[in-house]
Amino acid sequence: MKARWDLFLIPSFILSFVLMMVSQIIFLRASFFKDLGLGRAGKDVVLTNYERFFTDDFYLQVLWLTVQVSFMAMLFTLVLGFPVAYMIARIRSRWAMVLLAGIVVSTFITIVIKVFGIYIMFSANGIINQSLVGLGILDKPFTVIGNNAGVVVGLMHFTLGFGVLVLYSVVQTIPRSLEEAAQIHGSSRFRVWLRVIVPLSLPGVTVASLMIFNMSMGAFTSAALLGGGRVFTLPVLIQRVVIMEVKYSMGGTLAAVLLFSVLLINLLSIYLVTRMRKQRLVIT
Amino acid sequence: MTISTPATGVAVNGAEPQPRRRPGFRIPFSRWTFFSYCSLSYIFLLSPLVIVIGASLHRGTRYTVVKFPPEGISFYWFTQIPQAHWDALSLSFGLAVLASALACCVGIPAALGLVRSNIPLKGLVSSVFRAPLQIPSIVTGVAFLQMYYLFGDLTGVYVNGTFAGLLLGHLFVGIPFVVGTVGAVLQRFDTRLEEAALSLGASRITTFRRITLPVIMPGVYAGGLYAFMVSFGDVPISIFLSAPGFTTFPVELFYGMENDFNPAVLASSTLVILFSLGLLLLMQRIVGLENLLRSGGGAG
Repeated sequence: MKARWDLFLIPSFILSFVLMMVSQIIFLRASFFKDLGLGRAGKDVVLTNYERFFTDDFYLQVLWLTVQVSFMAMLFTLVLGFPVAYMIARIRSRWAMVLLAGIVVSTFITIVIKVFGIYIMFSANGIINQSLVGLGILDKPFTVIGNNAGVVVGLMHFTLGFGVLVLYSVVQTIPRSLEEAAQIHGSSRFRVWLRVIVPLSLPGVTVASLMIFNMSMGAFTSAALLGGGRVFTLPVLIQRVVIMEVKYSMGGTLAAVLLFSVLLINLLSIYLVTRMRKQRLVIT
Repeated sequence: MTISTPATGVAVNGAEPQPRRRPGFRIPFSRWTFFSYCSLSYIFLLSPLVIVIGASLHRGTRYTVVKFPPEGISFYWFTQIPQAHWDALSLSFGLAVLASALACCVGIPAALGLVRSNIPLKGLVSSVFRAPLQIPSIVTGVAFLQMYYLFGDLTGVYVNGTFAGLLLGHLFVGIPFVVGTVGAVLQRFDTRLEEAALSLGASRITTFRRITLPVIMPGVYAGGLYAFMVSFGDVPISIFLSAPGFTTFPVELFYGMENDFNPAVLASSTLVILFSLGLLLLMQRIVGLENLLRSGGGAG
């Protein structure tokens, strides 16, 4: 008798499927009702909320700002994270594990606690401001709390650890022997990077970047705390609209816009991967 | 070969054709420039944690003074952690334990079914299990809140702001991690081990308990740990599903951030940092970090 493994799947699948479909359908449906404020909503299916989103400058600016800070966070995550990922993947000693552990620790601890650290760091009499003002580099203390730079910093705390872990698995797919071969044939170390490491990791890095970008688009906690109530990205606005203004339908609309932009980027990423596979750019 | 290897001379960009020792990696700069650059990421990621721990040890009894580096070491603030924080911590802990345990109960059979059966549309089915990771948490939070309201309107039972409501939300985001990690282990599983046990007369249940389960255990630990940590640190879902006076620790901190920033808060945060660190070390002992990461969790 052969084991019927497919039967194991059924209860779990039903649970996951029902939770996902029911929750998503309910909020998507609600997003089509006219928002009357105070938790009340109209009964007819209309596009009022979406019309408002795409005609109101405020909402469009929020969307544009979300894209901008996510892009910056993605860029800095790549620039800071890729060398670290490369280093960890190529070191052949137990240091690699220690270095990885450092990354994992930072991703495992809730971002709220890290924001405390950032607050202290950038407070007017904190170490950074005291040393910069003391050295005469700045004439008055500066802060990252409540401006776009702060939000980018917050997003990076959310994405950098994860980014390093993903990029680490990308670098691991590049055989060491290719680098050695290039070097034996006389490439300088710079050329090894230019002609071997960068081209071979490009497909993986592209996908990783899209994942990081997606994470940033949906990141709530760090953006909310470092935005300090002055910078609104889409997730921050969603929480505000739902909890403070009690506008469930409008909140649903904002959430729907966020969900579909993220899904769109996911589809783009899948499309890119299949294209690269076809062109045999990915070594797997 | 390792970090402790001395630098191979002062290398100018790409001007060094033959390194003296064959290095494990190739970089167009001197390796100390490279290491210093990489250490920036570590400083960036870990300094906030060091600062929180340091500032929580500050010796001083004034509520408004937060100092780093601390002037004198004391554990005074650890005795001042408010009751609300202890309540929130125990709620968070209970929630994370139950959510990750349930995620394992749901995720293990799902992974077994996905890897070992030949059902049609397998890709679609597995994407249903992965979906919660693709949906931004804030959207999940809003969606679950509205689902609970509708459910409440229909049945009169409102689960938002209750333990059950929070648990369901956390379970939803925990399942994909377990399915991912256990699935990754199962894909490398040598099924001849099971066949051997069966042909030697073990029952299916004994085979599962004595062979299958021990082999997939690293995946279960890894997935469970991810699910635990995601639940334990979650804000965007819990913020919608908790009620005033009934909140998880991160949400409590989140709301307290503006008006309630004092060394006692840092003390409870320090406890959480040390707890997370301890849990990670324990996992490293049990399954090894390499296994923890190889099975893919967050990356999957």
